[in-house]
Amino acid sequence: MIRIYQVAYKNLLRKKTRSGLTIIGIALAAWVLVSLLGFNAGYESSLNRDIDSLGYQMLVTAKGCPYEAATLMLKGGTGLKYMKKEIADEISKEPEVDGITSMLMHAVFDPNKGESGGITAYLGVDPATFPGMKSSLEFQQGEWFTDPEAPEVVMGYEAAELEQREAGDKFIIPGQDAEFDVVGILKRTGTQDDGTIFMPLNTVQNLFGFKDELTGIGVKINKDADITQFEEKMYKLPDVQVVSLSQVKQTIMTLVSTAKVMVFSIAVIAILISIVGVINTILMSVMERMQEIGILKSMGATAWDVFKLIWFETLILCFSGGVAGTILALGTSKFAEILIRSILPYAPSGGLIKIDISLVIASIAVVTFIGLISGIFPSWKAGRVKPLEAIRSQVE
Amino acid sequence: MLRYIISVLIILSCSDIALGAVGCDLNEPDRDVARLFPGSTGFKTMYISIDRKGGNQLLARIEERLGDKFQGLFETGDVPYTIYQVLKEGKKIGYIHGVNQKGQYGGIQVFLALDLDGVITGFYFQKLTSKYAQQLRAPEFGKQFSGMSLKDFYGYDIKSNKATGESRVGNIINPEPLAEQDFRAALRAVKKNLVLMDEFVLGNKYLTSLTRKGDSVK
Repeated sequence: MIRIYQVAYKNLLRKKTRSGLTIIGIALAAWVLVSLLGFNAGYESSLNRDIDSLGYQMLVTAKGCPYEAATLMLKGGTGLKYMKKEIADEISKEPEVDGITSMLMHAVFDPNKGESGGITAYLGVDPATFPGMKSSLEFQQGEWFTDPEAPEVVMGYEAAELEQREAGDKFIIPGQDAEFDVVGILKRTGTQDDGTIFMPLNTVQNLFGFKDELTGIGVKINKDADITQFEEKMYKLPDVQVVSLSQVKQTIMTLVSTAKVMVFSIAVIAILISIVGVINTILMSVMERMQEIGILKSMGATAWDVFKLIWFETLILCFSGGVAGTILALGTSKFAEILIRSILPYAPSGGLIKIDISLVIASIAVVTFIGLISGIFPSWKAGRVKPLEAIRSQVE
Repeated sequence: MLRYIISVLIILSCSDIALGAVGCDLNEPDRDVARLFPGSTGFKTMYISIDRKGGNQLLARIEERLGDKFQGLFETGDVPYTIYQVLKEGKKIGYIHGVNQKGQYGGIQVFLALDLDGVITGFYFQKLTSKYAQQLRAPEFGKQFSGMSLKDFYGYDIKSNKATGESRVGNIINPEPLAEQDFRAALRAVKKNLVLMDEFVLGNKYLTSLTRKGDSVK
């Protein structure tokens, strides 16, 4: 015995082009929806990971050019202003502070870099606090410093590649007679740490004559602390400036949300168009088959049977469109990511579009549900057909 | 505060992820090409890696021709080599190619300017982390390589640091005896550079000249 869904399927095959175009319309709407939701999930998690990999949520630097502050924090630049280590002691006493790590960046002119020389920067870090705060850093070779004043360096992967250094090698700094031991090479992180040459803080202070001076203090804040309130407190410290990553994140998310609203609007429009398309297709199909429906009902089919038949057709269209759109979204996610990166003012490292199984299932379910809603009217109209009138109207 | 945040955003957006091995590019190609090839009017850039060109088989042949194994964390088959084809009024007149080399205290980048036959016309340490960088970067040192080709370097054994037969490599003077390790590193870099150029762009013309002498290269 032929089942109702088989009849529905065969009915759709009778008008292949129309059914195909309707599925394409639904698929495009589903594609936009899945990509958007995937972007929503992926962007924020990548941004959080980028920020977490920094290890601290706030950087306190000596007052100066804000570009230096940002450069120090994220790219490893040169701080032209210094602050006394007492500021670090003061900050560490604050109840909101979970931990601090003091840093001193120093840049050296290397006359043997390029045709006319270049700058190389060295970051002095506190061996007691920095590794714990940057626990995401892993070693390709070796480990952290053996002593707070050791003449040792740990290199980011790209810095080591440029200097062709491995753990156990010797290293020199331009203009300095001392030799340093390379004790560790970090694994690639995709962040500014890859290009950084780390040394013990005391070593950098003594070497370059900046005893008790710092260029940056990384501050890790307690999870329960009110960051905004703490920031206000930090602003009151003399001659320092504060860069908070919570603000950075907030600003990025605000910028991105504008783009999200635009894309979401497009998704809503696409879904509305596809709903209208589905209603139109099914309604046309019902009108064309009035006589056929009339015959079905005269043979004993109830209004509910006809309703179900037409509803099944809608279900097949929407489900197929939903699946096709999801596959399209999965297949084009890399391309969409490139496109998004070229549009957005800032895109974090890692995947921007995260499409997991729950998102796939939810998206197909939403598309199918919306389709079923839009199929109610044509199905109801078909169910209400009066057999004799339908047969007669077609004959006339 | 907005300025801080904007600056952070600018910097974040500049921090691309580069997961491949790093090659050896000219820092300022326009200026460097014109300096190494006076009279040139332009250049084209090619990127070739051993992995893509011929994989492990090619790597084995290059190591055999070099007379030394590729070593360490960074001297690998996936390193992208940048070759600059130098042009004069649209006509190819030579090549510039650089390699990274491990030195005693840091990285060394050796660039060679070559004519179309693979003969050295210019030598340039783009980067040299060495206590004796000043002596090694002196023009007199680089000039000693002019006119040499892979034919000369085949006679130079990297491991023993001995030049034999007709090789003119033995005539190259180390300007600072204390820089012996970096001097030898520079010679290895030049030989590696020439072998790679022969494999990548010169169609192995020097491979034939070597096998004629009865060496073991296959």
